[in-house]
Amino acid sequence: MADGPDRNPGGEEAADLSRRRFLRGAGGVAAGGVIGPALIGASGCAAQPATQPAPAVPKGPEELAGEIEIELAINGRPSKLTVEPRTTLLDALRTRLEPALTGTKSVCDRGNCGACTVLVDGEPRYSCLQLASDLRGSAITTIEGLGTPAQLSVLQQEFVAHDGSMCGFCTPGFVVAITACLKRDPKASEADIRGACAGNLCRCGTQPQIFEAALAAGRRIAEGK
Amino acid sequence: MALEPIPSAPILSTREDAQAPKKKKIKTTKVVNGVDTEVEIEVDDVPTVAWPERSKLRVLNHDIPRVDGPDKVSGAARYTHDVRLPGMVYAQILVSPLPRAKVVKLDVEAARKVKGVVHVLVIQGESTGWLGDPVAAVAAETLEAAQDGLRALAPKFEALPWSVDHETATKSGAPAVTKNGNLGKPETDGDETKARAALQASPTRVKATYQVPIQHHACLETHGVVVDYRGGTEATVYCSTQYTHGFAAEAAEVLGLPASSVTGINEHMGGGFGSKFGMDKQGQVACQIAKELKRPVHLMLGRREEFLMSGNRSGGIQTIEAGCEADGKFTGFLVQAFKHGGLGRGSLAALPYCYSAAEHYRSVQSVRMHLDANRAMRAPGSPQASFPMESIVDELAYAAGIDLVAIRKRNLPRDASWQRQLDRAAREIGWADHPHKTKPGPALGTECIGIGFGVSAWGGGGADECEVEVRIERDGSVVTACGSQDLGTGTRTYMAAITAEEFGLPVAAVAARLGNSRLGNSVASGGSVTTASLAPAVKDAAAKARVAFATHLAAVLGLPGDGFRFEPEGILHDGAKAPTAMSWKKACGTLPAEGLRANGRWVESLASRGVNCTQAARVAVDPGTGRVLVLHMVCVQEVGLPLNRLALRSQIQGGMIQALGYAISEGRVIDPVLGIQLNPNFEDYKVPHALEIPRMTAIIDDEDTRQGVIGVGEPPVIPGAGAIANAVHNACGARVRELPITPDKVLQALGKVV
Ligand code: FES
Ligand code: FES
Repeated sequence: MADGPDRNPGGEEAADLSRRRFLRGAGGVAAGGVIGPALIGASGCAAQPATQPAPAVPKGPEELAGEIEIELAINGRPSKLTVEPRTTLLDALRTRLEPALTGTKSVCDRGNCGACTVLVDGEPRYSCLQLASDLRGSAITTIEGLGTPAQLSVLQQEFVAHDGSMCGFCTPGFVVAITACLKRDPKASEADIRGACAGNLCRCGTQPQIFEAALAAGRRIAEGK
Repeated sequence: MALEPIPSAPILSTREDAQAPKKKKIKTTKVVNGVDTEVEIEVDDVPTVAWPERSKLRVLNHDIPRVDGPDKVSGAARYTHDVRLPGMVYAQILVSPLPRAKVVKLDVEAARKVKGVVHVLVIQGESTGWLGDPVAAVAAETLEAAQDGLRALAPKFEALPWSVDHETATKSGAPAVTKNGNLGKPETDGDETKARAALQASPTRVKATYQVPIQHHACLETHGVVVDYRGGTEATVYCSTQYTHGFAAEAAEVLGLPASSVTGINEHMGGGFGSKFGMDKQGQVACQIAKELKRPVHLMLGRREEFLMSGNRSGGIQTIEAGCEADGKFTGFLVQAFKHGGLGRGSLAALPYCYSAAEHYRSVQSVRMHLDANRAMRAPGSPQASFPMESIVDELAYAAGIDLVAIRKRNLPRDASWQRQLDRAAREIGWADHPHKTKPGPALGTECIGIGFGVSAWGGGGADECEVEVRIERDGSVVTACGSQDLGTGTRTYMAAITAEEFGLPVAAVAARLGNSRLGNSVASGGSVTTASLAPAVKDAAAKARVAFATHLAAVLGLPGDGFRFEPEGILHDGAKAPTAMSWKKACGTLPAEGLRANGRWVESLASRGVNCTQAARVAVDPGTGRVLVLHMVCVQEVGLPLNRLALRSQIQGGMIQALGYAISEGRVIDPVLGIQLNPNFEDYKVPHALEIPRMTAIIDDEDTRQGVIGVGEPPVIPGAGAIANAVHNACGARVRELPITPDKVLQALGKVV
C-alpha cells in the first residue's frame, strides 16, 4: 500500500478496510477521469467554472472541476475550504486552510518521507498522497490535534524528554505515525515502533531517541500514567 | 522586535550603577607601520569569567531537554516553509533538465495567461551551464497555479555537449567547464622521491584506488525564503539559513534597501549541514519578484530542485600506495587524488588523515563537471579522506598480520586521546572476543560478523563575533538574546541554560531569543564554531548581569556587593547575619522599571578548540546476497566542557547516522549519456530509515577535562564510513573500495559477480 506507513498485516478487519478504501478509491479514479480537463482548465486552455460547493460526502463517482468548496473535519472541527480537485490534503492544510495548519510538513510531496503524516479516521496517512476532496466525511487529525506546547500528549512529552527532535522538521510526522502505533498497541515493541515509522525520514538522525521516547510513552500509556 | 539596539562594547547598566565599569591597563602588541609594537591599552576591569568546576554545575553538563522541544513536537514551531502572510504569492523555479543546453523555447506569454499567475521571470533565456541551472521562475496566487505556470512555459532545450563523469571530463577535447579545461592544476605536498624510496624499502606495501560519490545534504526543509516586501522602505526576510545576519544583508542588496531596513527572521530551520549560508539564486529571484510585485513572495525549492541545485559534498577518486614496517609503523604514503565538485573545486582533507607516515607525497586535482558546485557539508573534505585512509590502514594491517587496533595506536601520536578512545571503542564494540583480529572472517553462512574502526579530528574553536544581551525584568523574567540561529543543534537551549546556571534559576525561567538579525551579531553556523563563539559570550553577559545585580542589591540592602550567591532556593548573602534567601521575584522587584541588562562578548578562555573522535562499527554481511546490516556503532567523542549532554549525544548519533548513509546507501547517480540525475528524490536517494538504524552508543569522552566549550557538529560524521567499510571486509573479506557499499559491490568484491 503506497498511501500510508500502515504496515499492519492483513486479517479480516484489514481486508474489509482495504475493500472500503478500494471502493472509495474507485470513486477517486472515476473522478480522476474528469480531473484531467480540470487540470488543463487551470492552465488556461479552458474556461473556469466559478467556485461551487461540492457535496459533503460523495456517493459514488462525481465530477469535480475548477475551484470547489468543501468541508473537512479537521481536529474535531468542521472547516470550510476552497480547493481544486487535484489539491492534496497536505496542500489544503498548509496553503488553503485559514488559518493554515503548517505543523504537517511538506518534504518530498510524493510519499517518500512521512513528514506529512496525518491521521485519517485514526489511521496514519501521507497527506501528500490524499486528495482533499476525497476526504469529505472523514475525521482528519493533524499534529496540531494531538497536543499543544502547553498541553503535550504523553508521546510528545517523551519526545521532549528523550530529545526526539533536533531541527524538528521531521518530528510531526514521526509523532503522528507513532501515535497511531501506540493507539493500536501501547505495548508495541521496538520492532513494532520501527515498523510504524519506517516510512519516516529524519536527516538529523534522531531515530534512536525517537525509539526510546516511543517505548517510554507506551509504558506510560499502558500503565495509565 | 522591541529589544533595544545592542551597543558594540560590553557594558553594564542599572539605573543606580550607570557609571562606566572600572578600567585597567594591560600590555598588548599592535602593528604600527607594519611592525609589532608593545602598547598599553585600557580595558574594562571585570573579573575574569570562568566556567564553574564540572562537579559544581547544576544545569550545564547535565541532560537538558531542549527549550523549543514542545514547539517542535506539537507542530507549533514555525519554519520558513510555514510562513503565511496576507497577499503572499508562491513562486516556483524551472531548472535546466540537462547539464548544458540551449534554451530554444520558453513560452512566457502562455505562462502569464495561466489563471492565478502574477509574474514570470526569465532568469536565463539563452543557454544553461549545469544540470539544475535555474532558467525561469513563476509566481502565482496558489502553489498549484505556480506549477501550472511552469508547465505552461513548455520549455524546449537543445542539448549541448557536457561532461558529467570523470572519464568524459578528463578526456582531451572534453566539453569544458572553464576556459582552462576541466582538470585543475595538481596541488602537491611532500617529497615524491623520498616517499617512493620509503615505499620501496617497506616490507609491506599495498596500493588501491578508492572512490566516493557526491553526497547530498538532503535537508528536509528545502532551501528558500519568504520575502515580506510590500513596497516602501522596509522588508522582512524569513530565511532558512545558517547565517541570519548575512542573509538579511544579501536580501537588502537585491531589494535595493539599506541593510539596516531589512530584518532577517529564522526562528527554526529544517537542517542546513553546510548548504545554507548564502541566499543563492532562488533567494535573489524571490527578492526580485517581491520588489517587482510589492507583495510577499514564498519561494521554497521543490525536492528535485533541491537535489539538483543546492550544493553537495564533493565526490572523488584517490589512488593510494602505502607501506609499513614489520611492526606496523607507516613508512610512506603516495596519494593521487581527484575531486569531483561539479563547477566547484571539491574538497578533500590531506592524507594520511590523522595518522602520520615517515614520508608522504600527495597530488590533488579538481575535475570540473557541468553539475552544481560542491558546498561545505558537515566536516567538508574529511569523510572523503577518512574512508580511504581507514581502509588502507586495515589493508596494511592484514598484509602485515597486525591487530587492527594495534596498528592504529602504533601510528597515532602516543599522547593523543585517540589512544584511550580506541581502547574504549574496542571495549564497547566487543573487540576482545572477536575472532577476526588479523584476518577477515570466511564468507560462509548468511551472517558474517565483522568489526571496523576509524578516527577523526576537528578544530572548531570560537571567535569574537557574537554580541549577547542578558536582560532581567522587574517581574523576574529573564531573556538571553543573540541573532544567532539554531540548526537543531540546541543553541537556543544552552543560551537559556548558561544564564539559568548563573542565577540558580530553572532553565524554563530563562527565555532564549535568536534567529533575528535585529539582535546582536553572531557567527555563521558552520565548521562547528557556533558553540565555541556564542556560549562564552552568553556566559560573559550572564556573569556581568550577575555582578550588576549584586551591585544593585548591595545598594538597596546596604550589604557588601561581593557576598551575594544566586541559588535555586533564592538569593543569599554570605555576610548577612541570619541568611534567609530572598526570592528571585522579590529581588527583581527592586530593579528600576527598565530592568537590568548586560552585554557579553567572547572570552577566549571560556572556549577550547580541537577535538578527537573514535568510532567502531559491527556489521553483519550476508555473503549470498551481499546485504550489509550495520548492527552497532560506537563513538567516543571529545567535547571540551559539555554544556548539554542530551543534545550532545543526539548530535553525535546524528553524525553517525549520516555516516551510515554515506557508507551504505547514499550517492548521486548521474546518467552520463542522458545527462540526468537518476535519483533526485527520496525514494532513489536513500538516507537511512528506522529499520536500518543500528544500536548506537554515543560516549562523551569525559577524560577530556578542558574547561572550555567546543562545538562537535563535524567530527562524528567523519570516521563512520571507513569503520563500516572495514567491518564489511573484516566480516567476510569483501573489500569494497567504492561508496556506497551496496550489495552488488559486496558480491563483486567476493568474486561472485563480475
Ligand atoms: S511529503 Fe508526504 S511523504 Fe513526503
Ligand atoms: S530532526 Fe531534523 S530531520 Fe529529523
